[in-house]
Amino acid sequence: MKGGLGRSTSVNSSSTLVATAEEAPREADVAFDRLYRSSRDDVYAYVASLVRDEAAAEDVTATAFERAYRKRSRFDPSRGEPRAWLFGIARNAALDELRHRGRQAELTAEPADLVSAAAHESAEASERRLAISTGLTALDPRQRELIALKFFAGLSNAEIADVVGVGESNAGTKLHRAVTKLREACNGAL
Amino acid sequence: MEPFKDDAEMIAELRTVRPLPSPVFAADLDERAAAGFPPRSLPDASPHEQLGAWLRALPPRRWLLPAGVTALGAIAIATVVVAVSEPKNDSASIAQLSGTDRSAPPPKAERYDAHAGSAKAHPSHAAGAGTGVDSSGVQFETAVPTTTGHASAPGEALSSSASSAAASGPSRPAETGPFATDTAHRNIERSAEMVLGAEPAEVGDDAAKVFDAVHASDGIVLRSSVSGGAAGDAGATFELLIPSAKLGDALAAFSAIAEVRSRHEATDDITAPTVRLDEHLRDSRATIDGLLVQLAGADTDSERAEVEAELSAERRHAASLRSQATKLDRRANLSRVSLRIETGAGWTSDGADSGWGIGEALGDAGHILAIAAAVTIVGLAIVGPLALIALLAWLANRAWVRHRRERALS
Repeated sequence: MKGGLGRSTSVNSSSTLVATAEEAPREADVAFDRLYRSSRDDVYAYVASLVRDEAAAEDVTATAFERAYRKRSRFDPSRGEPRAWLFGIARNAALDELRHRGRQAELTAEPADLVSAAAHESAEASERRLAISTGLTALDPRQRELIALKFFAGLSNAEIADVVGVGESNAGTKLHRAVTKLREACNGAL
Repeated sequence: MEPFKDDAEMIAELRTVRPLPSPVFAADLDERAAAGFPPRSLPDASPHEQLGAWLRALPPRRWLLPAGVTALGAIAIATVVVAVSEPKNDSASIAQLSGTDRSAPPPKAERYDAHAGSAKAHPSHAAGAGTGVDSSGVQFETAVPTTTGHASAPGEALSSSASSAAASGPSRPAETGPFATDTAHRNIERSAEMVLGAEPAEVGDDAAKVFDAVHASDGIVLRSSVSGGAAGDAGATFELLIPSAKLGDALAAFSAIAEVRSRHEATDDITAPTVRLDEHLRDSRATIDGLLVQLAGADTDSERAEVEAELSAERRHAASLRSQATKLDRRANLSRVSLRIETGAGWTSDGADSGWGIGEALGDAGHILAIAAAVTIVGLAIVGPLALIALLAWLANRAWVRHRRERALS
């Protein structure tokens, strides 16, 4: 467990998740542990939305956290939020995976847990979820990414802007358009 | 089926389809996080990819420190190599400059430096020659009419004697030029200066050893002065004439008497003035022979008196030339040596054999730092462009990867 992350660290606010580079390495480990605990499922959800493959999503998620762990001492808080930094790494890892596989990010398949959950629910709920999936498929891949970052990963508009490399207002505008288009697509499918 | 009433309802429904990691994967990732995310094996990766992954996994401090140490080591080694090889280059350049004495190689540890000029002037004084007489051809020609008083201008004296020689018919010798290049035998004037360091109590004994060494070399002590006293006051000075053939042995004997603080030797090629003097002497003899013939054929007293006057003047001229030739031979055969015995810590500032002190240490340190700086600049001149190319390649690769990533999303 040399240099590993403790398991008893509680999740704190994102602004204090990562220590500065000048602090002791142990401080950086503790801060990274907080970031990991608070972001593990969110990163997986975002990556799974991009790569649309459970095994690939797990591999990319692990790769993203490995890269972030190696670079944890180089994180500069003045350049953005730690979650935005982490999701930027995860985005690059996911896009590398897509690039290597020669596949594009298509939200066409149903996640396994979603299918199994739909079997126990009412027909109306199942249809609504199917409409959501259809609506996501109708979106542009970049719009689907914005939806995933906002509603699967829970990032703020400022964090989304940092991740995708646009201005905050531009990110908000793009997100609004994506939500509008998704609603239209979902309502059209119902 | 009713459509979504608003965005909030749709977003709530959207969050229900959020992908979740499997419990097995989540537990495995937690374990790896607790272990500090150890590098995973890449069974399907090529060796190149595995090496790249290993390099990327290295923290910067793990390779920056060895790289810095390697660079400093390279600079240190290059500095040592340059500093060690530099004296060889100096020796080579000195050897190239010392080509004046071609036929007679300089004795061991002979030095050619600014002090050679002062050393060259000494033999003329020792030999008792006219003041200002030197070994160079121009100065020597100037000295001839001064000593003979034969003409007001030196060039006139030489040209007149040369023309008279040509008129009398002796064969003209080969052109000697300023260095007498056509002469097989060369006359070399040698001189030396040496400073010995001794304890005040040993000055007397060392002076006696100097006399013994001079006598052993069949040399002549022109002047000597031995004084006692405390360190710095006690000392001895010697002006010596040593047979040139034994100069090396004599200097070696002097060096064995006490600590050598400085030693300078110089040579001067006096072949040209010697050869020219011989030519003038032959011309003068031919002129005398011609005047004797004229004297025998003189019919009147006035004609006879005029020829006798010319003959007398020419004989004085020949005598002067013979005296000059004797002096030149003396300069070639006897070497002037200035020897001084010092006491105390009076280091000479110009001696290569002098000791090593704080001043020399600072000088050496500055020299080494200058070499290190030069090596660093040369290294940067080599590494700089390569680093710039690597930086541009890295930036281009980064932009290309970013473009490929965005294309993958599109």
